[in-house]
Amino acid sequence: MSGESRIDPNHPDYGPVDPHHVQYGPIGHDLGANGFTARQLARLDEALTLSSRESGLTFSLYVGELKAPTRAHAEALFERLTDDSVLIAVAPGERALHIVTGPGSSRRLPNRACALAALAMRAAFTSGDLTGGLVTGLRMLSDSAGRI
Amino acid sequence: MSIVQTVLVFVGIPGAIIGLIAFAVYGKSMLRQPNRYRPGRPWPYEAAWFVPHPDAVVHSEGGHPQVEAGTTTKTTAIGGASGEW
Repeated sequence: MSGESRIDPNHPDYGPVDPHHVQYGPIGHDLGANGFTARQLARLDEALTLSSRESGLTFSLYVGELKAPTRAHAEALFERLTDDSVLIAVAPGERALHIVTGPGSSRRLPNRACALAALAMRAAFTSGDLTGGLVTGLRMLSDSAGRI
Repeated sequence: MSIVQTVLVFVGIPGAIIGLIAFAVYGKSMLRQPNRYRPGRPWPYEAAWFVPHPDAVVHSEGGHPQVEAGTTTKTTAIGGASGEW
């Protein structure tokens, strides 16, 4: 969708995320290892689970480095998910955020709804509220998608 | 008053009061948010990918996300939005 060239999702540079870092819900991970406190992880877990359950879409959050071009990296990550997934990829270091939808989820979430959520997330990130922005984005996307 | 007394009264007491107020204002956030994100600072933590627990999601077409390294499903990115801050 962007003008950037497509990249091979399995290219080592765009690295498969180490399976060790993939979690079913943020709780249970080593405290602070991924930059969040236990309380923040609990908020993320609740928002992630509730929005996925209510909308029937599989929301997933990626927080970490995105290599340039960041959009292509986010889309490469998305290709490991399912048609009904929505990926929210945030790179706090690069100050970039991408929401990626697939064949199933884009029918429920038009780009306009994603742009609105991205705007709200940017506002929170600008003030340094990383967790708040992620939770807000999840709620807005879930509300836009509606219930199953 | 001796020099020591003078210094204690005019430097020590104001200093102690300033320190007390500063701790009351900033101390709580310094203790509670050791890793707070600030825009423009690097993010030195490892990448993390959060997926809802499979039990929480009703899959219409079956199949769970396969986010493990090296696996790809047939899905492709269709739309979305981007932003920077």
